[in-house]
Formats: sequence, C-alpha cells, structure tokens
Amino acid sequence: MSAGRILVIDDDPQIRRAMRASLTARDYQVTDARTGEEGLEKLRSSGYDLVLLDMNMPGMGGIETCRLIRSGSEVAIIMLTVSNSEKDKVGALDAGADDYVTKPFSMPELLARIRATLRRLPQPPDNTDLKQLASQGVEIDLASRQITVRGRTSHLTAKEFDLLSYLLARPNKTITHRELLQAVWGPDYGDELEYLRVFVNRLRKKIEPDPSKPQFVITEAWAGYRFHLPKQGSNQSV
Amino acid sequence: MVRLLRKRVLRVTGRLIAALSLIAAITFVLYRLLHVNATTAGLCYLVAILIIATSGGLIESTIASVAAMLLLNYFFLPPVGTLTIADPQNWVALFAFLATSLTASQLSARAKRRTKEALDRQHEIERLYSLSRALLLTDATKPMPQQVVQQIGQAFRFPAVTLYDRHRDEVYRAGEDNTPELKGKLREVALRSTVFLDSESGLTITPVRLGGRPIGSLAIRGSSLSDAALQSLLNLVAIGLERALSQEAVNRAEVARQSEELKSTLLDAIAHEFKTPLTSIKAVTTDLLSDPGHTLPQHQRELITIAVEGTDRLSRLVTDAIQLARIEGGKFTLHREIHFPSSLISAALRQMKPLMDGREITVSAPDDLPLVWVDAELIQMVITHLLDNAWKYSPPGSPISIGARTSEGRVMICVADQGRGIAEEEQSRIFDKFYRGKGEQNLKSTGMGLAIAREIMDAHGEQIGVVSKPGEGSEFCFSLPIARRGGNE
Repeated sequence: MSAGRILVIDDDPQIRRAMRASLTARDYQVTDARTGEEGLEKLRSSGYDLVLLDMNMPGMGGIETCRLIRSGSEVAIIMLTVSNSEKDKVGALDAGADDYVTKPFSMPELLARIRATLRRLPQPPDNTDLKQLASQGVEIDLASRQITVRGRTSHLTAKEFDLLSYLLARPNKTITHRELLQAVWGPDYGDELEYLRVFVNRLRKKIEPDPSKPQFVITEAWAGYRFHLPKQGSNQSV
Repeated sequence: MVRLLRKRVLRVTGRLIAALSLIAAITFVLYRLLHVNATTAGLCYLVAILIIATSGGLIESTIASVAAMLLLNYFFLPPVGTLTIADPQNWVALFAFLATSLTASQLSARAKRRTKEALDRQHEIERLYSLSRALLLTDATKPMPQQVVQQIGQAFRFPAVTLYDRHRDEVYRAGEDNTPELKGKLREVALRSTVFLDSESGLTITPVRLGGRPIGSLAIRGSSLSDAALQSLLNLVAIGLERALSQEAVNRAEVARQSEELKSTLLDAIAHEFKTPLTSIKAVTTDLLSDPGHTLPQHQRELITIAVEGTDRLSRLVTDAIQLARIEGGKFTLHREIHFPSSLISAALRQMKPLMDGREITVSAPDDLPLVWVDAELIQMVITHLLDNAWKYSPPGSPISIGARTSEGRVMICVADQGRGIAEEEQSRIFDKFYRGKGEQNLKSTGMGLAIAREIMDAHGEQIGVVSKPGEGSEFCFSLPIARRGGNE
C-alpha cells in the first residue's frame, strides 16, 4: 500500500536520485521530471498527491511552473528554494505552493513537511454553518472543495480548505496564529506567520465578494484571525 | 579691420557722388531749361534731398543739403550769380530751406536705422530659435558641448566659437581660432564670472551661468549680437550644458544599476551551483543518520554525523560568503521602509530559534519604541548574525538576551551573552573578515557574520560596536535611524 504518489521536479539528477531512493524507502511512489514543462506533462495523468518542485530551474522556472500547476489542479506542492529570503518564500506561497523547504535540507525535515502537507483535518465543518453561509451568498460544496460566490466558482486547495474549515467550525471567535498553524500544518509549526498571511489572502480571493474589504475572514491585529458569521435570523444584508 | 573701414568709405563716397550728381542735374534742368522761380526750385531741391536721405545715409543727405542750399542761393536768389543776398526775407527763406532739408535727412536716417535694427533683432531671434531647436535635437551619442558650439557656429555664422565646460575642464571649438592662451582666458572668465572684450581682434568671452553659478564660458569672434540676444544665447548654452550633465548622471546610474543586477544574478547562480550538490549530500547523509530500522553500528553513525556537520559548515560558508560578496563595498540598493523594531527582532528570532538548541533567549523591548527607517531584510540579517555569534561563543545552557531602547535620537538594539568575553586588543579586529578570535577553534563559525553585520550598518550610515570584559560576557549594540513623520527621503 503506497503512502502517496509524489512527483519530483528538479533539474539536478543527483537530487532526483536521492529523493527517489529515500522516498521510495518510505513507501511513496515516486516519479520524476527534469523540467517544469516535463512536470506539467506528467501531471496531466492525474493521481499525484504531492509535487516537490525546485525553484531554480532552467527554462520555465519553479514559480511559473507552480502557477501553471495551480491554475488547473489542487495537488499539494512543496517548493525547494535555495534562497532563505522572505521575498522568495512569500513568492513561492503566493504562486500557490503549500509549503517550502530551504536547500540544503535534512531528509527527516523534508519527510515531516511532506507528512504535514498531506495531513488532512479529521472533521468537516457543521452543515448548519454552511446553510448560514449560503444565506450570505457563499456556497461551499464539501465533496468537491468548490466554492461559489456571486456565481463565480473556484476550487480550494487542500490546505486552503482545511484553513477555512477550521475557522468555519469556530465562527466569531478569534483563533491565534499559533493555533491555526498547528491545527492546519501540524505540531512542528507555530511561528510561520507568512504562511497565514499568504493563505488567508488566497482564501479571501476565493470567498470574499470584495477581497480588499474582507467581511468573512477578519484579521485581528497582533492576535490571529476570526471568521465572521452573522447570527441566524438577523436581517443583515450583504 | 582696416579693409572693412576702407570698403565703407568707398561705399559712402560712391553714394555721395551720386547724390551730388542728382543735385547738379536738377540745378541744370531748373536753371537752364525750365527757368523756374526760387520757390519752385527750393521745393524741387527738398524732394531730391528726401530721396537721397531715404535711399542713402545721413552723411550724404547732409552734404547734399548744404550743396543744395548754396546752389539755390547762387542760381535762384537775387542777385543771381553771386552768393550774396539782397533781400533779408530771402535769408529767412534760405535758412528755412536748410533747416527743413537737414531735419528731413535726420528723420529719414533715424527711420532707416530703426528698420535695420528691427530686421537685425528679427534675424537674431530666428537664429536663436533655430539654435534652441537644434539643441533639443542633439545626438545623444556625441558629446553635447561639441554639438552646442557647432550649432552656434552654424546658426549665427560666426567665424569662430569656442566653449569652455568648467565641469569637464574641456574646450570645444567650431571654426578656426588661433588666439594663443585661449583656454587660459576662457577658464579665467568662467572662474571670475566677468566679461572679457578684445575689440582689436573682435573677440568676446562671456561667462555661462546657471542660477548665478558659473558653469563655463563662451568665446565668439566677430560677434555683432545685441546684449539681449547674447544673453539668450548664453542661457541656451547653460541649459544645454546642464542637460548634458544630467543626462550623464542618468547614464551613470543606469550603468551602476545594471552592474549591480549582473553581480546579483551571478551570485544567485553561484549560490545555486554550490548548494545543489550540497543538497543531495545533506539529504543522503541525514537520511542515513535517521536510521529508521536502528541498524547502524555506533562508529558508522559517528562517521555519518561528521559528514553531516561538514556539509552544514560548507553550506554556512557558502551562504555567508555570498551574503558578504553581495553587500561588500556598499554597492547595493537599500530597500528602506518604516518598521517596528520589535517586529524586526521577532522575525530574526523566528528564524534563529530552531537552530539554537532551545537556548533561553530573553527579549526586552518597550512597547513605545519609535518606528525605524531601515531595510528590514538586512537588519534581520544583522540580528541573526549577532544571535548566532552569541550562541556560538557562550557555554551551552547560558542565557542570551536581546533588547531595544532609544538613545540620543536613535533606536539601539543590543544582543548580550554570558560567554568568556573578548580581550580589549581583540575587540577592534572581530569585525574584520575571516577573524575568528585568538586560539578559537569554533568550527561552527565562518568568521564572516560580524563583517557582514558591519557592512550592513555602514550601508545604513549607522554604528555597530561591542562592549566586553573577559570572563563577563559580551554585548553587541547597533543603532537604527528613527523614521521621521512623512518619510525620511
């Protein structure tokens, strides 16, 4: 029984060999690709659970590849970056990656990241909340992770969906950064505020009628985030 | 000069002969053929003088007036045939004739002069206009001052124009000018900001000023420009030179930006090339060491640990060397923005905490610290290097503290450890590249962290220093500029 199917996209053959050996030993099914173009071609045959994507590749770079993958698929993506700079990290997350690891990385760290990225929240949100949300003009289809706002349909990635589920299950309550990070990404996380910043922005683009003036996912400065759900029966209009 | 004068004398003489011939012809016709009276003769002479005054100059018409007066007296006023006048009334008539003809000459000559002046001004303005047009359309690949003198020479048809550019200390010529020591004179005029005139050789040297500041001088041979036109010409030259200067500054900035970009791209490529093999080594060795089946003998575990540590060290060296190369010499762009000092500290702590084996770090930063105007990424780098340094040079388990406070209009951030301290004679050297402390065999240090920190502080125009006593630990402090209301730029 496979632990998951992983596509490794990296231009360096030695890294691909090392990944294949180590990941196969942990029961992952590994396919590799030398370029972004080849990776996109292989992703057409669906069934991958996760993509390990190198940031610096000749031809189509990692960021562009990530964006193209994201435009047609919700597969989990971990980016491998050389630079430790905030700009590159946020760039990776903005392009749609779920996580990033800085090269050179230790294999246990990468395995932990892969597990965290593939990890799913156990319970979906309560259905009554969804009905309440639908009355606000936002429809969520749990099975397909589809979201429809004012006739505009978009898909949520797994991590975006988990983040939304966690917030939605605790409406009108401020959830701290740390709690959110540990709940959605895993116990090893807690200080990666840039993850939340980028993911909340991505979420707002899909759920908010006007992402620049959020009315559902509210930022509580210095504390965390809160999902604003108007009380049932109130006449508040959108 | 003499030739010019002779030419003029010849021209005037010619016109004078023509004028006198006209008067003589009129006298002949009136006296011999028509036999008119004195009044008619006087009126006819007046008409002739008016014609002479409008077509010739003041000299010819004045001489012709006197000649006409004498002829009128001799041939028409009784007693005819002598220059004496019998009737006193005729004296009055004769002087009235002379006054009228002289006044008519004057008026007509003045009108002619005005017309000529107006035409000259019009030509000057046309030339200034064509010059300003030409200066706007200069060729960016050729030196601007050279084009300016050539355009002046062409527009005004001066025999020789020479321009001195004070900024470059260069002389640009159009036409032949063999005045000795011309450059010296030009420089002197630009320096003293006074006009130099040499009427003998027809040379004028005037300072070129911009906003009262002399930026060069212009020598013109054979200039017949009015003061106003010369002033406009000088203004055009000043604007042209200034435009050339600013264009050069823009070009220089563009070259600097491109070379910075090239350096950055090159360093990114080097980082990538070094880190790629390191990545596979690290992935493989750490995977071996993780040993999920617990099958690794003790000595093999030790050997692989050494390989992992070597990889980490090499990786740190590459990171630090590239950081240092990127910022060394201060030739890089700061991306300054307004930041909370405490968020800079917490960002650095987030990055460093996982690497510091759970060492206790106390943070003391008051809530009311002012905002600072810095490049956040670089200042975070300074803090991480100081934390890294404190961690490496103090005993395991000893606490590290980081604090921020205001002092003398700046924000000071300090990192203190309880290590064995730094001897005074060493304190000045620890910020040098590759200096790792006397007898220090700390393999984790690359000897570049503090050098990087100092380069970053230099680029911000701020200070970094250390206070340390052997046996009592060290405290590294650096200052940051407070953000002014409405930005610091």
